[in-house]
Amino acid sequence: MKRVPKPVFFIVALLILAFSFTAIFGVSYYTGDNKNTVLKGIGDIRWGIDIRGGVEATFKPANNYDATDEQLESAKSIIELRMISQGITDYELYADRNSDRIIVRFPWKSDETEFNAVNAIEEISSTANLTFRPGKSYESTDVGSDGEYIYKTPTGDTATVLMDGSAVENAEAQYYQDDSGKAQYVVSLTLNEEGAKTFEEITTTYLNQTVSIWMDDIMLSAPTVQATITDGKAQISGSFTAKEATELAQKINAGALPFQLETANYGNISATLGENALTAMAYAAVVAFILIALIMIIFYRLPGFIAIIALIGQMGLTVAAVSGYFPAFPSFTMTLPGIAGMILSIGMGVDCNVITAERIKEELRGGRTLDGALDKGSKSSLSAIIDGNMTVVIVSIILMLVFGPSNILSFIFGESTTGTIYAFGYTLLVGVISNFIMGIFFSRLMLRSIAGIKPLRKNWLFGGAKNEK
Amino acid sequence: MKNDVQTKTDVKMTEQEISEKFNRGRKIIDFVGSKKIYFCVSLGIMLIGIICNFIFGTTLDIQFSGGATLTFSYTSDEEHPIDQNALHDFIQEKTTDKITTSFSEDLMGNTGKNVSVQFSGNDSIETDIQKNLEKDLQTEYPDNNFITLEANSVDASMGFSFLLKCLAAVALASVLMVLYVTIRFKKIGGLSAGVMALVALFHDVAMIYFLYVIFQMPIDSNFIAVVLMILGYSLNDTIVIYDRVREEKKLIGRRADVGTVFNVATTKTLKRTIMTSVTTLTAILTVYVLATIFNISSVKGFALPMMIGVVSGCYSSICIAGPLWVMWQNRKAKKKAAK
Repeated sequence: MKRVPKPVFFIVALLILAFSFTAIFGVSYYTGDNKNTVLKGIGDIRWGIDIRGGVEATFKPANNYDATDEQLESAKSIIELRMISQGITDYELYADRNSDRIIVRFPWKSDETEFNAVNAIEEISSTANLTFRPGKSYESTDVGSDGEYIYKTPTGDTATVLMDGSAVENAEAQYYQDDSGKAQYVVSLTLNEEGAKTFEEITTTYLNQTVSIWMDDIMLSAPTVQATITDGKAQISGSFTAKEATELAQKINAGALPFQLETANYGNISATLGENALTAMAYAAVVAFILIALIMIIFYRLPGFIAIIALIGQMGLTVAAVSGYFPAFPSFTMTLPGIAGMILSIGMGVDCNVITAERIKEELRGGRTLDGALDKGSKSSLSAIIDGNMTVVIVSIILMLVFGPSNILSFIFGESTTGTIYAFGYTLLVGVISNFIMGIFFSRLMLRSIAGIKPLRKNWLFGGAKNEK
Repeated sequence: MKNDVQTKTDVKMTEQEISEKFNRGRKIIDFVGSKKIYFCVSLGIMLIGIICNFIFGTTLDIQFSGGATLTFSYTSDEEHPIDQNALHDFIQEKTTDKITTSFSEDLMGNTGKNVSVQFSGNDSIETDIQKNLEKDLQTEYPDNNFITLEANSVDASMGFSFLLKCLAAVALASVLMVLYVTIRFKKIGGLSAGVMALVALFHDVAMIYFLYVIFQMPIDSNFIAVVLMILGYSLNDTIVIYDRVREEKKLIGRRADVGTVFNVATTKTLKRTIMTSVTTLTAILTVYVLATIFNISSVKGFALPMMIGVVSGCYSSICIAGPLWVMWQNRKAKKKAAK
């Protein structure tokens, strides 16, 4: 058997514990009353509606407009699309055809302690009607938060609409450097065939005049037409930030609502699982962990002890992948099925250690030497663990692809996500990968290393019979 | 079942001999021999489930069936507090429909607190039920100003097309999984192993479904979570046993009786199966106990089927997938011999 140096055990164990500690509890410091989060922990996880609650809003058509069932349905799917493009995957959305209501529930956004529900709701329910209008007459102005003027409500000539968002095939945020080298963000539009024709007519009629572009009631930009445009490409520039340009493009892509919505009522909803669900789960996690640790150590002794360290590492990694500990993985919305995925992956982590430990025990009792048993036990248990985990990986990937934003079956079933199932797939996948790293790689490394420590080289400690040396 | 007799005559070794030869004298449990009992137990439970299904029907949560939502506003202060769980139970007693409640705080500043009661499957709440409920609430909580705010009837947010999508996802995952098993377990008749693993999975889903039906729990998103978890768990269980079958077959030799190989493999992995199930059950039981202490019925309704699922997942791998696989292999061998 290839020996692993003794200090490896201590180094690996310490690293795992340190990592998991920071991943679970997070690292933050306070400057005055402000909390500065260095590393995100469990406390920074974005919880789904079922666990933490969120926002519920009821929309109705404005001005007592009587929407048809089709219009209501299309409004519902546009709202759905908007939520998906905002990264909200676990929403509940209902349409009430009898009273023309759309009811939506979605969780709190991540990173926000004080959730701005009003903004989120406005974002989701805005009509998003993109219009091209002649001239640039407006009724009123507002001062935006960045000190710039916002021109509102078209009047006069500008009240006529030349072309609207339905002519747009695709909108995309783009970036270029202007003459002075400053970064500029624009939204470039590709028009559909009909739109290209209309746009050609518009740019011919209004050559050297101003045509303004509006989003609902707000003027985005008012360029002067300098040439007739025939290729169906248009651009909206309006001193956007990168985020604004992306959001605007998303909004245009999601399409305009068939009618204007107003908010009939909205409010915070408490966790649908009940008030104390999170507290109860937290206690359950701690108690269950202690129980599992006891079982593992009593039955498997030293390998059991190492399994516990590996399990802590696995939990740490899984939590880290959910909370946004690694900047590359944004924080993820955790729902009850997400927790189920975690439980399953931890169960598989336990299983992987149990399989190995049982195998070592079996080999020891079959009369092998300690080194021989460790070697044979690790080797022959590997295929079971890999096959078991791989099949589960297949399932979790399919679930993520089908129910998550990538939505590989959308050509059959239309755009929709089911965040709860997506969350399950995600935590399961991450958990199983963590299991490969911790339960298979590191726990075996630690086991081999610790087997080199003299006072611990007793068969009994590895599951052999007690009277053996 | 004819080839069943055949198998038995093939086994010339006695139990004693098998255990001496393959397990250092320790007993090998004859799982394959008792398969009729297992099949009967499983089919029996399914039968009870189907009967219950006819009698009670299935209760679907509003997300799946659509239904009506009644929203009441109320006030609650320190002198007249409202316990959300108690309020839920109170409303549930007043109706035969399965309800879910959600509590919210109004942000438009009109009404204070709201509770919306969702009646699943019943999309037109008659006005008298609505009026009665309002009256009942006002009598029960005289100081909390219960007023009906809104009544909506809604379509299922996870309706028929969601069901189809789920089935498509299951089909896709099944195909890939069987493919993986077929390739990896070629030595033990890959396709048969894959298909039987799938049968075991369907067995577990059926068990959980019938559990929901028999105890009349509404099928909600928790159900999906439980089913998904048990699928993963059962799959892993089956694969671990297959792996040992693959290994034992290599040790015992090609010509060995398939049933014996399976029995040996399963007996040898039995300790692992029990230990893993016990630790998993311990964890879920803890969740269940704490949910009981905190009185969170939704989490309880999630942990209980999960415990049953773990047992079923473990049982189906050993007692359903295995014996079925053995039957398939024997049948194949017989066909070959006939040629």
